[in-house]
Amino acid sequence: MKINLKSKRKRWNLHQKVFLILVILVLFLATINVAKALGWLIPEQPKIKVEQKTIVLSSLTLEQKIAQMIVVPGQEWSVEPWRKMGLGGIHIYAMKDAQVFKAMIEKFQQNMTIPFMVTTDLEGCWTPFGNFKNFTSVSEILTTEKATEVGTEEGEFLTELGFTLDFAPVVDLKDEIWNCRSFPGDEKKITELAEAYIDGIQSTGIAATAKHYPGKTLVVKDPHKFVVAAEISAEDVYPFASISAQNKVKALMISHIIASGAIDTKGKPAVVSTEVISQLKQNYSGLIISDEINMLGLKKYYSTMDEVYVMVFAAGNDIVLNFNDDPNEIYHMIQVVKKAVEDKKISEDKIDSSVKKILELKGFIVE
Amino acid sequence: MVSNKVLIGANVSLAIIAILLTLSFFEITVPSVGQVRYALDRTEPVCVISWKEKFTVFTGENNLDRCCLEARKQLECIKEIKVFDKNKVEWSCRTGSGNVLTYGLNSKAYNYCRQQVFWRRR
Repeated sequence: MKINLKSKRKRWNLHQKVFLILVILVLFLATINVAKALGWLIPEQPKIKVEQKTIVLSSLTLEQKIAQMIVVPGQEWSVEPWRKMGLGGIHIYAMKDAQVFKAMIEKFQQNMTIPFMVTTDLEGCWTPFGNFKNFTSVSEILTTEKATEVGTEEGEFLTELGFTLDFAPVVDLKDEIWNCRSFPGDEKKITELAEAYIDGIQSTGIAATAKHYPGKTLVVKDPHKFVVAAEISAEDVYPFASISAQNKVKALMISHIIASGAIDTKGKPAVVSTEVISQLKQNYSGLIISDEINMLGLKKYYSTMDEVYVMVFAAGNDIVLNFNDDPNEIYHMIQVVKKAVEDKKISEDKIDSSVKKILELKGFIVE
Repeated sequence: MVSNKVLIGANVSLAIIAILLTLSFFEITVPSVGQVRYALDRTEPVCVISWKEKFTVFTGENNLDRCCLEARKQLECIKEIKVFDKNKVEWSCRTGSGNVLTYGLNSKAYNYCRQQVFWRRR
């Protein structure tokens, strides 16, 4: 009987065996590709010790400190990899309604020892909330009273949703591209309005960002290009100098413009100019934020992105915006910067000083 | 019962998929359909930023990044043909309706934007 059954059992031929092996191989490869794409292969950082809102800076690994300086896009699928890396902040793009924003931010902040900075671009006409709320365009703000009122209204709205940092206001003197992002008037009027707006928004707990240093980033020079080089006048710098001298604004954003004139970046994009950023930091103790680093104006200046990563950190930016949505690339960026610190191309003291400012903005006492 | 001929076909396909997945794991990618379409499209990329009745036109592929990034941040990009000063755009990216900032892209620019590192997972 046994012999009979054995003889009836079908033996697999070579093609069937190869088929089975290939199916298993494809399933395995597909799984590790998905795991990699979702950042599941990125190692988790050690838990950070926080006691009574106090963080000992030396208890953070170098990777954790570098990660705190990076802001990335905050999207539904990216909660886990960004959390694992312990990144400093997320930038939220447009969504359907307030509830979706709130739910997303809550999801990101859940169980975070050091919460993410939650950032946005709310500049009136330039808004990710346009699907459910309208705001006054800054180009339509004529008085300081109105500027404070608008700043306060926007700040309260952002606080309610869970945001902490707004990349606004624009203090460039002219907006000839979007036609709605600059305050009206000359440099003095623009400064007054911007200061009033900053007073309003920061009174609600939202940190404001004056941008884009050193100015002239929203001016059309050549219809075939976004401006990459410009002659900067004393008038262009006036709002930045005035606002930063009083440490009135929590952050300043540096553009990729190659500046000459009143501010000379010596042929380099401003965002990688150590001289320009050091000079700014002499009279300003707030955060210096890089503009998004995947723009050709900056990328074209270097042969690889690794060079860009090292240069934006070495120049002294406290926060670096990298909107690459690949978690593996962001992890790679941290490794590249870590190696540059270990090789003494970037000073660890510079990193520590930036991280201290970031953690203090997040409400921690840093020792 | 599946014939050997069918199995050979399936095995060749699976082997190709396995090779592509291995390459993808090591980040060696083959051009996507979008990249091929972009390369074959000989028109000039156009991005039009419009707000209320005003608009600004950008052409040429070297400096579309900012436009792409801002278009990416919008709630939706819909297929919609519009003409701005002889510049035809096929895609409109915006958040909300009415007098909102809108990024108009022609197909060449749209395909360019979709290849950028900040747009891959839209």
